[in-house]
Parts: sequence; C-alpha cells; structure tokens
Amino acid sequence: MEDEVILKGENIKKKIGDYEILKGVNIEVKKGEFLSIVGASGSGKSSLLYILGLLDKPTEGKVFLDGEEIDFNNEKRLSFLRNNKLGFIFQFHYLIPELSALENVMTPMLKKGIRFEEARERALEVLKRLGLGGKENRKPYQLSGGEQQRVAIARAIANEPAVILADEPTGNLDSLNTRRVMEIFKELNHEGKTIVMVTHEKELAEETDRIVEIKDGRVIKVS
Amino acid sequence: MKHNFFISWKFFLERKRQSFVATLGVIIGTAAFIVMSSMVNGFQKFFLKEALNINGHVKIMVEPTTDKTEILRKYYEKGVFKVLGYKPKEEKDNIRNYREIVRRYEKDKNVVGVAPHLVSNGVIIYGVKEKAATLVGIFPDKEERTLSLSEYLVHKRLEEMKRDRSSVILGIKLAHELGIYEVGKKITFVAPSGEVYRLKVIDFLNTGITEIDKSRVYLHIKKLQDILDRAGEVNEIVIKLKDYNLSEYYAEKLSAETGYKAESWQESFKNFLSIFKIQKIITSSVIFAILTVSGFGIFNIIMMTVLEKKRDIAILKAMGYEPFDLILIFTLQGLIIGVLGGIAGNVAGFFILEWLETIKIEVEGIIRAQGFILDRSVSYHLYGFIFAVLTSFLASFYPAYRASKFHPVEVFRSGG
Ligand SMILES: Nc1ncnc2c1ncn2[C@@H]1O[C@H](COP(=O)(O)OP(=O)(O)O)[C@@H](O)[C@H]1O
Ligand SMILES: [Mg+2]
Repeated sequence: MEDEVILKGENIKKKIGDYEILKGVNIEVKKGEFLSIVGASGSGKSSLLYILGLLDKPTEGKVFLDGEEIDFNNEKRLSFLRNNKLGFIFQFHYLIPELSALENVMTPMLKKGIRFEEARERALEVLKRLGLGGKENRKPYQLSGGEQQRVAIARAIANEPAVILADEPTGNLDSLNTRRVMEIFKELNHEGKTIVMVTHEKELAEETDRIVEIKDGRVIKVS
Repeated sequence: MKHNFFISWKFFLERKRQSFVATLGVIIGTAAFIVMSSMVNGFQKFFLKEALNINGHVKIMVEPTTDKTEILRKYYEKGVFKVLGYKPKEEKDNIRNYREIVRRYEKDKNVVGVAPHLVSNGVIIYGVKEKAATLVGIFPDKEERTLSLSEYLVHKRLEEMKRDRSSVILGIKLAHELGIYEVGKKITFVAPSGEVYRLKVIDFLNTGITEIDKSRVYLHIKKLQDILDRAGEVNEIVIKLKDYNLSEYYAEKLSAETGYKAESWQESFKNFLSIFKIQKIITSSVIFAILTVSGFGIFNIIMMTVLEKKRDIAILKAMGYEPFDLILIFTLQGLIIGVLGGIAGNVAGFFILEWLETIKIEVEGIIRAQGFILDRSVSYHLYGFIFAVLTSFLASFYPAYRASKFHPVEVFRSGG
C-alpha cells in the first residue's frame, strides 16, 4: 500500500504558441506522501501543477488520478474529479470576498451535494482545527494574510480530497505564518493526506518526503 | 441549484449599491408599465364602453347611394323593369319599412333592443347664442330599453318627454356653451320651413364623451317629424346586442336582410380605433424603452460582477463548479434582481394607481372626467412582473455565459 500511486503524469508536454513550457515530464505521486516540486521561477512548476490538477490540458502526455486515465475533453468529469478528489491552494489565497470564511469553506461541499447544515458543521470543525475558531463569520478582508491562507487550506480539504495541490502556499506569508502552514501540512500528511506542494524555497522542500526538481520544463532530479 | 442560488444571493446582497441601482431600474420599469397600461387602457375602455352604450352596436341607415345598378336590381326583383333615375333626397333618407325591421329584430335572441331615430342637423338658439347641433328624434321607451339613456341623464327626467312633446334634452356641454345651466329654460329651433319652435329643456345628457355632449339634442321623434315635416319617417335604426363582439357579424347580416346599409361600431369608430392603436403603439414603445434601459442596468451589473470576479470564477471552477453552475449563478443573480424589482414594482405601481385615483382634476379632451380613468386589471400587474423577470433573465444571460467560458488557468497566469 505504501507505494500505491495516486497521481501520475506521463510524458507531459505543454506548448504555448511556439514555446514549450513542459518538455516531457514524468512524475508519480504516491498515496500518503508529502511531495514537493521545486525549481526556479519560470521553470514550469505551476504549469505542471495545473495539469496534474486537471485545470489545464497537456499538449501531449497522460495523467492518471486514482487509477483513472483522464479524458481532458470531458469537462463534466473533470469538474467532478476536481470537486471530489482534488483540493487546491494558491499563493494568493483567492477567497471569494463576498463570502464569510465559513461560507468559503462550504462552497466545495455544497457543490458536492452535501446538505447545508451538515456542510456548515463540517466547515466549522475544519476551521476550528486550523485555529480559526470564532472567526468563521468574518469576511476575507477582516482576516490577516496568514488567516486567509488557513481558510484556503480549510476549503481545499473540505471535501476530503485524495490529493491536496498547493502552488507556493507560503509565497506570500511571513516566516511565522509560513511555519504554521508547514505544520498544518505535516499534520495533515501524518493523518494520511497526500500533498503536492510547489515551492521555490529549497529549505521548505527539505521538510517534505520527496523532492522533484524542475528546470526549464524538465525534471532534473528526484530525491 | 441550491448551492448556486446561495452564491448568487450573496453576490446580490454584498454588492449593495449596484444591486440597488439595478433593482430600482426594474422597479421603475415595472411600475411604469402597470401605471401606463392602466391609464391608456382605462381611457380606451371607458371611451368604448360609454360610446357603445349610448350609440349602440349596429346602426342601420340609408346609404347615400347613387348606384344605378343597385336601383335597377331592387326594382327588377319586384318585377318592375323600368330603370328609375335618382330619387329626390328627402324621399331617399327614409327607412320605409322600419316598423317591420324593429319588430323582426326585437325578437332576435342576441338583441337587447332596437331604437329607431330620425336624425337631422340644425341650429338651436338660446338668447343671442346659437349652436349647431345633431337633433335625434327618439321613441323614449325604445331608447331607454335599447341604450339605457337615463343612465346618462343628469336629472333622469326622460319620462317627462312622453307627457310633453315639446321637451328637449341637451348635451350638457352644448347647454353650457349656450349658457343654460338649469332645466326649464326654453330654446328656439327654426325649422327649414321657417317656422319657429320653442322647446323646453327638461334634462342634460352627460356621457363624458365630449363629442356627444357638445352636439347631441334628444327630442320626441313625433315632435321632430312634425318640425321637419317628415311625418312617419325614420332614417336610422340603432341596435344593441348582448355581445358587442357580434356586431360585425350582425352588421353584415342586417345589411343583407334589410337591404339598407348596416354599420358595426368598429366601422363607426374607425377613426378612434386607429387613434387608439397609435396610442397603444406609443405606450408600448415607451414601455419597451424603459424595459430596455432597466435591462441594460441588469446587464451592466452582472457584466461588471463577472469581469471583476474572474478570479472567483476561476477558483469556483478549480473547486469543481461546472460551466453550467456559473451560468446559473449569474442568471440567478439577474433573476433575483428581476423578481425583487418585479414585486417591488408591482407594489409601487399599485400605490401610484391608488394615489392617481384620489386625484380630482378636470380632464377634457376626447373625454371629460373628474380624474384619471384607470383600468385596474390584475393582468397588468401580472404582465409587469413577467416582463421584469424575462428582461432580467435575458439581460443576465450573456454575462453569465461569458463567465462560464473563462479558462481558470488563463486567469491565474494573468495574475487574476
Ligand atoms: N500564457 C503564456 N504564454 C507564454 N508563456 C507562458 C504563459 N504562461 C506561462 N508562460 C511561461 O511558461 C514558463 C513556466 O511558467 P510557470 O509554470 O508559471 O513557472 P513557475 O511556476 O515555475 O514560475 C515561464 O517561462 C512563463 O513565462
Ligand atoms: Mg508559479
């Protein structure tokens, strides 16, 4: 079970115009691991994560999620998988400003079809766990950057996804909040959650189980 | 659906000022629709109702024809082979078998009543003032049965005409123009023969239709026949039907059966009906313009929301919301505006109409009234609401569609 692959990219290429951002990337994410993707700015980390997260279509190559080969033309299936099996966290937390912290966390649950009351309770629980108890009714602008990012994490794990995908989740945070986010990730990982984190900070990557290094659209090292 | 409505509702609530402005546009549009429809239709329905009441539904009259083949045909059928020339006018302006026509159609189950008239133009004099008038000679009982004349009489004194043949009823506007404000005054009428008749004003006709009130004079048909030296003559028969929609059918039937020209009210009021049509076109255009403006208000707010919320749309998609969810979220936002605006517009329209009803002003145009004549039909409220919802749906659909087409990665890459 340890080595079961939950998410896999096979020979992934991405071309925009004449420019090849990804030049045939092979990557495997094992169930329960905390994997980091590192590389300089512009090396193609985000592009890879968008494809692994089923947000973007590769020009070439295949993606497998939980054993299923992804059909990138089946919009409905992609949405379903994103909602049920994936959780996204971005550098700029991207909370919906009209919704309270609680409501932001509830949105993926409501889409999944969870009843309002149940979604509310579960969202409250997750927020409390991430140290946001009592702040659930605040709007994003009433929260600090670190708090906002924790709400975004709560939202990403709301539907108990198979894989959590984070694109520079600490890129916009001070060192204290960076630590908190890293501790949360580790804790989630200990509970068995699979996490893929993109970062350009080597020190953070060192804390993860495995590092995939990317340069100019190619994997140059896995350690 | 529910989760989408939840988000739409939040978008609506949290963008207070924009939502308020867009909703206000719908409120104004809906209220204007209701108020204008009530006013225009109120006026038109009032006019038609009163005009038909007093003028009847089908009018049989002597056609001023000089068609020789027509004359030939009539006489040929009777077995006379001689072609006659034009007949003198006095003799032609007479429905000779009017008694037979009256008797025959009074029995028709669709007919309320049949009223024979002798109609003539003349000048009436009071003091130094004189006015042109349309003199209508009537049989008081038949007139009352057919056209409920008493309804429009200020003093309800039609009975007196039966006792006193020299009595006369004046259109109230005509009376006022002559300077007559109370009954009992004597007017003078000069017959074509030169003989002078004195007639006593026993009542005033007040229909509210200016045209009638300023020209019509009723007197006993026997008296008018006497004055005009046209004993026994009738030149017009007015018929009222139980259902005025039958009037065109009856006009055809009557002219075929009697050989006289029979005219339906639609034909008699042709000019008014075409004015009404223009009036309706103008109102519809104004309403359409208002709806378009409020539609643009909605289009604007939804389009702005969509463009400002590219990031949120991208994140919703990343969380698994489908393009159709996004179409729903934004059309629902538009529908919320439409439904709330429609409801509030209905309430506003209702109270504006209530207020208009309390206003007492003298209106004088085609009709005279002491205020606004309103048609308070529920259907205008219903249509107002439907238009509000429909407009808001149409106005929000395109922005919603645009939202559903955003590619999340493009949004993220552009720095959202
Ligand atoms: N829409 C685009 N058109 C052209 N080049 C792009 C576009 N988006 C990204 N790139 C380029 O692709 C490369 C990889 O970008 P990205 O995946 O964002 O890298 P990273 O996340 O590692 O910084 C960069 O050189 C970037 O300039
Ligand atoms: Mg990046």
